[in-house]
Amino acid sequence: MEIVISEKDGVNVLALEGEVDLQTSPKLRDELLECISNKKPLVVEMSGVGYIDSSGVASLVEAFQTARSKNLEFSLAALGDAPMRVLKLARLDGVFIIHETLEDALSSNGK
Amino acid sequence: MSAHNENTGQLDLLADMGRNFADSGDIGSVFKTGLERIALTLEAEGGALFLLDGPLNDEGTKLVCNASFGPVDIAGLTIDADDGIVGRAVNSNCAEIVRDVTKDPNFNIEIDKESGFTTRSILCAPLAVKDEKIGAIEMVNKKGGDNLFTVEDLKLLETLAASASLAILNARMAAELVEKEKMRRELELAAEIQKSLLPADGEPDSPVAGVNLPARVVSGDFFDFFVLDDGRTCFTLADVSGKGMNAALLMAKTASLFRCLGKETPYPGILIAKINAEINETATRGMFVTMLVGVYDPETGTVRFANAGHEPPLLHHPDGSVDDFEASMPPVGVLPDIGMGKTPVETTINLEGGAFYIFTDGVTEGYIGEEELGAEGFNNLIKKGKELLPAERINGVATHLKEGSELLRDDVTILVVDDGAAFKERTANKVQGKNRAETDVIYGHRHGHGPGNEEIAKISVPARPESLKIVRRVVEGAVASCGLGKDTVQDIVLCVDEACQNVIRHAYAGIKPEKNKNEMIISVSSGQQILIIGIRDFAPRIDPDKVHPRELDDVRPGGLGTHFINEVMDKVEFKVPEDGHKDNRGNLLVLSKSLK
Repeated sequence: MEIVISEKDGVNVLALEGEVDLQTSPKLRDELLECISNKKPLVVEMSGVGYIDSSGVASLVEAFQTARSKNLEFSLAALGDAPMRVLKLARLDGVFIIHETLEDALSSNGK
Repeated sequence: MSAHNENTGQLDLLADMGRNFADSGDIGSVFKTGLERIALTLEAEGGALFLLDGPLNDEGTKLVCNASFGPVDIAGLTIDADDGIVGRAVNSNCAEIVRDVTKDPNFNIEIDKESGFTTRSILCAPLAVKDEKIGAIEMVNKKGGDNLFTVEDLKLLETLAASASLAILNARMAAELVEKEKMRRELELAAEIQKSLLPADGEPDSPVAGVNLPARVVSGDFFDFFVLDDGRTCFTLADVSGKGMNAALLMAKTASLFRCLGKETPYPGILIAKINAEINETATRGMFVTMLVGVYDPETGTVRFANAGHEPPLLHHPDGSVDDFEASMPPVGVLPDIGMGKTPVETTINLEGGAFYIFTDGVTEGYIGEEELGAEGFNNLIKKGKELLPAERINGVATHLKEGSELLRDDVTILVVDDGAAFKERTANKVQGKNRAETDVIYGHRHGHGPGNEEIAKISVPARPESLKIVRRVVEGAVASCGLGKDTVQDIVLCVDEACQNVIRHAYAGIKPEKNKNEMIISVSSGQQILIIGIRDFAPRIDPDKVHPRELDDVRPGGLGTHFINEVMDKVEFKVPEDGHKDNRGNLLVLSKSLK
């Protein structure tokens, strides 16, 4: 799993890549919470995610809840088939704000 | 005309016709020029050159006028091989003079009727070199005087005809050569395209490398490999039945299908099944391809492969021992549906620092002097080169075969997957405390527990998060080989991963690893329309009633895994292990999914 964090138009973008599992999800959790702590909206760009398990989903849920408690926008963008299936299995596809592309996510955050 | 002049005339004719052909490359214009020269020399009104379009005694062979000279052009006229005065000359192989054609029973008046020309006398000489009859040359109506040819004219025509025969034969042979040269160039182009279908030479120390030496210009063998996005390498080696151009073309098709489909479907069994379906749709009768497709993961050292009728691949262990593996599928192109059924077709092995060799029979059946190399000879060559880089090692074997006999009898193709360097790296990481899973992969096709169930895969790993990746790979391969769709395969892999997480996080929670190894064993079996996955641990018994999926309305981190398992699998059972392993201690979770 690889994580690259950047900033675009005042929005934090966390680009997530590879396989998110029990071994790698603690690092994802730390990075997500760290991003939220700097009080900017956060978009998790997931086009490079080939696999995500319940521990990875749990990290996203925790970040989502933390962001909400701080009134920060938190969204997911560019989900591939595999992570989308897992979110649907977890019935979380209606809970997260999910954008087709990173561009959609950024323009929606700007409003 | 003096004898000297005659000789010069003949030589000139021969030389001119040769030069004419060399200049134009056009055999038709050579005939025409030659005929004109002869007609002018003999002062004939017209002339024609007839050639046989096949061997004289063959049925249906005709005499075709290849060139004509004079007021009427009869080029293209076709007559029976025994028709007319020309036919008579060809058959008797004798030159003759017909002073008055009206008195000749063989004279074919029809030609004059059609052309409007009036033939009075004819001079005709056969064209032949030794026993090979080519045709005949005919001169019509001598100009001036009494319009009659003389015996001297006949002699001159005979000698000129002999020269012309030689020139024609030469020109024909030269034309054949040109044609052959064209074919050779086309073959070379085909070979060049074939070479471009093989992967470019990788880094000299690449763990996967291949070599292909065609016995002819084009080859029926090929190999290919490419690295997938996740770092694994998908590879193949194949041998098309037969040799020559048809084999080369089927090879090109198979190679393209592998490249194209392999990137989408890096599951060996399914990939072969797809290629097979495609090739069967447009099959050339009687041709087939034996091929092995595999995926190598340098992070774990595992190779998952399926073998469609190909030579058994060899695994050279670092300790020098060698294992071989029989084919699990029929060759590609024979049956419309292979690998789609219930029978598992994939084998997963762990190279553990060893090297995996796939080759065509041109290698083991290649000759060194008078002796076949054989499997033993091949193994010895590999062992001798074990200090070399993988690519150098197999190139060495190929070179040895090439130099071992004057002619390669069959294409020589070898592919190696060498885990040596990756293994060292993995071991080093473990020493540094990254504790890479001590994986014990037991794979193959054995009869599993229970009636009609066949064990596709079994893997034993330490109950640690680092083990999950290889568990996923192994389960993915095993489940994919049952012919399930990609999404279902992913879902099942997720469930097994979640079940293993429960073992790691809950069953073994707080248990100090015994001899540094809390073990879990994952096995995949398939039976009558059913897929069964067992996850076995050696932790204290857990109470199945306390394992519940969490309420989904309750959005909070954690607790999702059990829900995933219940959602995807058809049946989830906690069982008491009865395998006699460590006093039947521990737990066994059995997940089932219908294959219907």
